[in-house]
Amino acid sequence: MKIRKDKLYTLSFFLSPMLIIVVLFYLIPLVLTVYISFTGMKNWNIERYMHDFVGFYNYQRLFHMFKYDPTFKAVVLTTIVFVGITLIINVFGGLGLALATFFMSERPGNIYRLLWLLPRMSPIAVYSLVWYYFFHGSEIGTLNSILLKLGLISEPIPFGQIIPWGAWSIIIFVNGLVGVSFGMIVFTSALNQIPKEIVIAARVDGASGWQISKRILFPMMKWHFLYVLTWQFLSLLTTYPHLFLLVEWDLVNRDYGTTLALYVFNTAFGRGEQEQGLAAAAAVILSILGIIGGVITLKVLEFEKMIKKPRGEIE
Amino acid sequence: MKHKAVFLLVVLISGVLASGCIGGETKETQASKKVQLTGDFAKDVIKIGKVLEENGISEVKFSAWGSGDPNSVMRVYGIVDAAYKINKIWKENGISVKITVTVKYDQSFNDQYKEFLSKQPLGQAGDFFVNSYAFLSTLAEEGYILDITDYAQAYQSVINDFYPTLLDASKYNGRLYGLPQDTEARPFYVRKDVAQCVGLDVSQLPEKVKNGEFTWSDVYYWAKQAKEKGCAEWGLIHRKGSAHPDLIQFIFAFNGKLYDENTGKLVLDVPAVYKWLYVEWKFARDGLLPEDIMSWDWAKQIHPTIVEGKTLFDIGGTWYWTEWQTKQYYKGRSLTPEEVKEWFAYTLFPAGEKGAKPVTLSQPFIWMINSKAGQLNPKYEELKDVYQALAFLMIIKASDPKINAIHSVISAHLPVRKAAAELIKDDQWLNNLKALNLDLAPEVKENIKDIVESTVNPINAQFLADVSYMLQYTHFAPSHPKYPALADIFKDAVDKVLRGEMTPEEGVNYIISKINADPELKDNIEIVGEIPKDWKFPRGD
Repeated sequence: MKIRKDKLYTLSFFLSPMLIIVVLFYLIPLVLTVYISFTGMKNWNIERYMHDFVGFYNYQRLFHMFKYDPTFKAVVLTTIVFVGITLIINVFGGLGLALATFFMSERPGNIYRLLWLLPRMSPIAVYSLVWYYFFHGSEIGTLNSILLKLGLISEPIPFGQIIPWGAWSIIIFVNGLVGVSFGMIVFTSALNQIPKEIVIAARVDGASGWQISKRILFPMMKWHFLYVLTWQFLSLLTTYPHLFLLVEWDLVNRDYGTTLALYVFNTAFGRGEQEQGLAAAAAVILSILGIIGGVITLKVLEFEKMIKKPRGEIE
Repeated sequence: MKHKAVFLLVVLISGVLASGCIGGETKETQASKKVQLTGDFAKDVIKIGKVLEENGISEVKFSAWGSGDPNSVMRVYGIVDAAYKINKIWKENGISVKITVTVKYDQSFNDQYKEFLSKQPLGQAGDFFVNSYAFLSTLAEEGYILDITDYAQAYQSVINDFYPTLLDASKYNGRLYGLPQDTEARPFYVRKDVAQCVGLDVSQLPEKVKNGEFTWSDVYYWAKQAKEKGCAEWGLIHRKGSAHPDLIQFIFAFNGKLYDENTGKLVLDVPAVYKWLYVEWKFARDGLLPEDIMSWDWAKQIHPTIVEGKTLFDIGGTWYWTEWQTKQYYKGRSLTPEEVKEWFAYTLFPAGEKGAKPVTLSQPFIWMINSKAGQLNPKYEELKDVYQALAFLMIIKASDPKINAIHSVISAHLPVRKAAAELIKDDQWLNNLKALNLDLAPEVKENIKDIVESTVNPINAQFLADVSYMLQYTHFAPSHPKYPALADIFKDAVDKVLRGEMTPEEGVNYIISKINADPELKDNIEIVGEIPKDWKFPRGD
């Protein structure tokens, strides 16, 4: 399809701010990351290692570590379980919350939404510290102390050290509580776009809340669902700050509290010698996994079908 | 007419600019940009002050980064006081230059090291950096800290007053990269009332441990007695985490080593590591040591268990002695010096078995200078040498015996200079410190007065004097860039063995597989020896 010159100018004008942002904040860092992954960069010494080309050494080293590390199996399993279950919680939890608050009157609905946003608004360290003391595996842990006082247990339970599900439950719970608000916001905004008249008309016809959701609301929110699913998948695949603290503070078992993203972070940045070259190689691999996962999600949910050409004249 | 006016204006502006340039150049060539240190502190300071003044500098800004327990704040205030003393000399000599120091004091030395590493290349790290000697090799290798060997030659008399082993810890490839700030020993604490309950005589214990007559087999025996007789909930409590090298004392106590000086590689001494893991495993299996100790909370579990007398033995550090006096670990309050003295005996870390030697471990902190020190000050490029010489003089002043002695007394670290070790034995000086009747910067006095109030006591000074002998038995964790990674693996293995997830043998094999999984670790670590087949613990001898 040929685009007329003046049309091209108009398009460039409107697209340029976004293109500049993409180039500045995505493309350049991506190119830099790929470049650094082929250097022996360490200890942030850019001046010294920027031109120290090592070829595929960092990739080879990573694969060797993945292949022979006795705890790597736990890391892979943790990544699959963590991303899978947290994704379900984040997407369906967000959807559930948005629907629940949609059917509420406006004031209590807003209050509930605000409450669910609190974990996202709290500083990560403070938020993690709360759950550190809540789930601590001794009598100083809030949960253990409550259970002990109620006489339900006689010995404190080391929740985060029960492998694998104890550790997994905590990391999924803590991250799910933060992530669920993202879906809630997007779905709430989607619901607010749906004309109220349709819902009122269905109500008048005697449709239940579930029927309204299933027949009217869900089909109209498919686009948002896809967006939240893909976004949260990519985000969970690379997330590590909460996990880092919970593992660092020994609340959860190190092997079953570590996802691939955290494994990469700890391997590259968490030791006395910080290796940016290795980190970059790992980041490139994670990006590739993310892209593959993202494309699969879009295919499964038939993204192409949702992008339809307008029925009217384009020109 | 118009052209003439423009021409005249151009000539005029060029003239003004040229005269400025020429004038500036003349002025700059007159002012000196370098100083040669003589070893006479006042003379050198005055010389530097004059150079700065001639170059139009009226204020020199520095920042000092330090970290550690709350009582160790002299790690940054030592620099503040050095600036105060230099400012005083300048004022007395009519030099109108002033040093101002901003401080940054964090809890975790490990985290601050990481911050220094990432910010130094950006020019945002502290001008002075006090941290573990363990990081010195990496910082020196990357060119992030200043080589002070040449400056130090002028101050040989001061340098000679430091303990030689500590000076060695401040060197990399034979060059001096900092001055020792403090060191410590890691005493093996024994709770006296629990010992009395089980019938263990602690009065002869330090001597017996020193002679290798009281080994870890005996520790096990008495710990078991304490538990079985109901004298204490636990037999032994120890520290946690990989950053704290306390537990690697076991390797040395079992005649093992961690570093091969000939090859420059780290060593995994399999027999010693196996014995270490076996001791941990055995203690935990018999309920003498909490199996989840590696995830205990410092403030709510570890310290309260020790100070409340719920354990017979504890592997700790000298700084515990004053930390217990300043933090509310004991039923919501801190201990008095008298209580600490009455409740705790201390010895070297016992030998692992008969024939081995007792040990302790030190991790000296070093005052290092950022290789970009003074970078935020005017004319940095021209006056770089002057700023660096001034920074060196500041760490010389911060290493003053008085400052070092204050730090030692209030934080229970050991002095790094012979003169400071003498000072802490002086009752009169201690009284003056207690009353803060010393020539210190007002800011320093203000910031240490509460710590001084609760810690300056003849009992604490005596404790330091009593444990000083331990330095003769000290070992250092290797100053090797890959050591932190190995320490992390040790931590994981100890945790798994304590929890009973692995047997000691599996623990050793786990360490070996983790080393082999990383080609760089594999290249940097020699694995020596094999798991001993007929070794028993406790031996009962």
